[in-house]
Amino acid sequence: MRKVLVIQEDIIILKILERLVITNEFECKAIRSLNALTIEDQQTNFDFIITDILFEGIAPLEFVAQVQEIIPHKNLLVVTNMGQDKIKMEIFALRGITGFYAVPIDLDEIEYIIQAY
Amino acid sequence: MNETNVSYFIGFVLSILVIYWISIAVSVIYRKIRVKQISRIEHTFADVVSRYLYNDPLNPLSISEINETLKSVGIRPHNKNNIQYLISLMIRTQRTILGGNYIKIKKLYTQIPPYNASFSKISSWNWYRRARGIREIYEMNQSQYLDEVVKFRNHRNIFVRREAQIAMVVFLGWESLRFLPYLKRNMTLWQQIKIVEKLYDHYPKPELKFLHRAYKTDKLFGKKLLMRIIRKFQLHSETDFILEHLIHEDYEVRETAIYCLQTFAVSSERMNFIKQIYEKVTDSSQQAQLLNYIFENSDIDLDFYLQQLYGPNEELKLNVAEILWNNGYKEKVQEFYYQQYSKKEELNAQ
Amino acid sequence: MLNDLAKFFSSEYVFIAANYVFFAYGIILMSFYLTGVILASRAIKRNKKKARFLQVNDIVSATDIPSVSVIAPAYNEGLTIIENVKSLLSIQYPYYELILVNDGSKDDSLEKLIKEFKLERKDATFITQPIPTATVNHIYKSTLSKFTHLTVLDKNNGGRADALNAGINFATSELVVCTDADCIIEQDALLKMVRPYLEEYNKEIIACGGGIGIANDSVVRNGVLQELRLPTNLVPMVQVVEYIRAFLLGRMAWSEINGLMLVSGAFGMYPRKRVVEVNGFDAKTVGEDLELCIRLRRLMEEKKIPYKVVYLPETLCWTEGPPDYNILIKQRDRWARGLWETLKIHKKLFLNPKYRYMGILYYPYWLFFEFGAPIIEFFGLICIIAFAFFGMINWSMAILLFTAAYIVGCVFSTAAIFMYVKNFNHYDKPKQIIELLLAAYLEPFLYHPILVYGQMKGYYKKIFGIKSGWGTMTRKGFKVSDT
Repeated sequence: MRKVLVIQEDIIILKILERLVITNEFECKAIRSLNALTIEDQQTNFDFIITDILFEGIAPLEFVAQVQEIIPHKNLLVVTNMGQDKIKMEIFALRGITGFYAVPIDLDEIEYIIQAY
Repeated sequence: MNETNVSYFIGFVLSILVIYWISIAVSVIYRKIRVKQISRIEHTFADVVSRYLYNDPLNPLSISEINETLKSVGIRPHNKNNIQYLISLMIRTQRTILGGNYIKIKKLYTQIPPYNASFSKISSWNWYRRARGIREIYEMNQSQYLDEVVKFRNHRNIFVRREAQIAMVVFLGWESLRFLPYLKRNMTLWQQIKIVEKLYDHYPKPELKFLHRAYKTDKLFGKKLLMRIIRKFQLHSETDFILEHLIHEDYEVRETAIYCLQTFAVSSERMNFIKQIYEKVTDSSQQAQLLNYIFENSDIDLDFYLQQLYGPNEELKLNVAEILWNNGYKEKVQEFYYQQYSKKEELNAQ
Repeated sequence: MLNDLAKFFSSEYVFIAANYVFFAYGIILMSFYLTGVILASRAIKRNKKKARFLQVNDIVSATDIPSVSVIAPAYNEGLTIIENVKSLLSIQYPYYELILVNDGSKDDSLEKLIKEFKLERKDATFITQPIPTATVNHIYKSTLSKFTHLTVLDKNNGGRADALNAGINFATSELVVCTDADCIIEQDALLKMVRPYLEEYNKEIIACGGGIGIANDSVVRNGVLQELRLPTNLVPMVQVVEYIRAFLLGRMAWSEINGLMLVSGAFGMYPRKRVVEVNGFDAKTVGEDLELCIRLRRLMEEKKIPYKVVYLPETLCWTEGPPDYNILIKQRDRWARGLWETLKIHKKLFLNPKYRYMGILYYPYWLFFEFGAPIIEFFGLICIIAFAFFGMINWSMAILLFTAAYIVGCVFSTAAIFMYVKNFNHYDKPKQIIELLLAAYLEPFLYHPILVYGQMKGYYKKIFGIKSGWGTMTRKGFKVSDT
């Protein structure tokens, strides 16, 4: 089964994205921070990672770089409250980012992307 | 003052101390209970909303089931704190979503508590309750109360009037520009930011006729607000309004004009205009920003930069020299500094 | 001479006069504190309400908010520099840059930074230096996209104030935050600090400070405070109470009436434009934070521009306090000298109506009750000893008065702890709160006399022209957790 990892600190967005993913017949691992990641998760090649960039103790850009480095994945979608154009450009400069969505988000867009996969 | 009086005083102060101890204990216990309660409500609400938005056809979630679930975690009419917390969660959720799901959420909110709790707040004498009520009304899209809310747009309390102004934008869209640039009281930066953002989120298609009419405002905050709108909506056709204000007499207005201009790449004709008015900008730090803009958005205009290098503005010469130095005109910079050096020598000799 | 002194202290008139002077001083001070409690609780309540209308989540997503540069000077901090920079980089703010100023460190700080962050040297020929500083040798930027917000300035040693000025020169943002490289700043601190700048509409905010907390013995992970613990030693433990009281009661109360004269050097936000206008921090005084704040206020008073200095009640920055008496004395000695120098520089303010409340109320308060308190206490102690020697003291009354003063002091500390516990959740375990209360009640006996000694030592140095700089402040470092 295709797998998605959702990392969001905000429990409401986390649960909504989790439901969205499950309804689209993906297996979903939903966590609120990287600390909740198991060794097994780090060996899974996720089809999608949907993540925020604002987490305790790590700069947004460094967080994305770390996710890219430690979790095998095929696509990385950023869904964040800190969605200014400047941040978007900096995130894309890291390379390997599939999409960047600033809150408020149209969930249909995310659904469309994972359905099209 | 005798010993008895001092003893009474000590007794009195000691009793205050004991009251503080009790208050600390109560506060710690209350927080512990409240944190647990809040976390339970938040998790339940997240679960309910996510299931409602992406309903499982095999196990659909009904409205009565949602209401029962919320009731089980303490969302009851008499428990005002819980109701208030639920409202904040509802607003938080609504603000994170757009599109079809936004409509779905709006529909859900009409069917779960608190029914009309916000409207009662706007008649409160307490500014905090009143402002909160207005916010809830516009965040939950209860447009039937627009007339009540509009009345507060010039209220003496900043929070009440700010929320009322944002409500006008949410309900009236671009038409709210008929009022906003002409308000009686000054507008904070945050008010401007919020108005622009709400307009962008709810009414992404610009209606220029309202913008053009608003240009007549003589209020400084109004001018700043309009420039921010032009910037946010990337209205290239309206950049002249920003250019006009680059030499405005007010520092803040000029600052906003420079800030907004930075997001646009202007035509060569307009760039020439900027170069012409550049020297009329009275503040050197703003001139530096403008110089940077000119450099980043146009080809090197040697005459312009040399004019600045040899001109009277000493504070910006280093900036001009840096631009020339890094863009293939090292010899021009050297020539200028040799000349300065020899001038100094002459002066010293004299 | 001794005979004269004996005659003086045995005089009934002198005894009565001294009684009245000390009593009146105490009563006035207590009244200030009591007013402080009332004003502070009002300010905290209002602040909490206001924050509901401008939450950090709103600010973090906003587009037109002012840009902020955090300037952190570092001198010989090679041991912790990487961790410190990572901690400062993790601050959440969309338009943010970190300027680390290596103030001529003699250790391997710069080499470590270059290696860890893949720094690349940039041309420093054309840095505009509106504020004169020691020579900036090089500017470094990271070649890695993930550290794009980091700039390192390498300059010759010139002291903390000079390093901050170099950072301010280089900053391109609207607001600058001055801190120390070894401070742990809360993740959302800038989002909260920027609030007053966004919300003010008829006054200009010239400085904004946030609460500073003592985090000795706390556990730090990735530069973030993972577990806030109370210090195990009494000296830092009492400082926890002292800081809570000073920031929550003192600063908040003064902020409420726009009477703040000091924004702490460890964490203060200023508009760059104004700091440049007053020529930055004064590198010649050791009380550069107080001096800058007063100078900024003077500028605004002289220009007749309405302004505000504000404080936020939340603890937004954590630092390590002096762990023992020796270092504490050095610190307070330095603070006392800084206060002396600053009050001397700005003596023109004293009772000067041109500066309105600053001249008539705030400056005299600082002079009589901040600067004067240790002197009064010191002479009070001498008087007690002398009057006791001549048998002039009614001991039962004296003991009662001491008890009354002590309990009133305890009430103020307890009120501060209560307000802190009620409004913030940093210390929420009953054991921690009991320890804090005990520390507060022991403070007058085991901590305060040392403080007075440190301050008097500073004054002594100033009176007799004994040269002394910042002094070395040895830190133990936080407990670092890798798990």
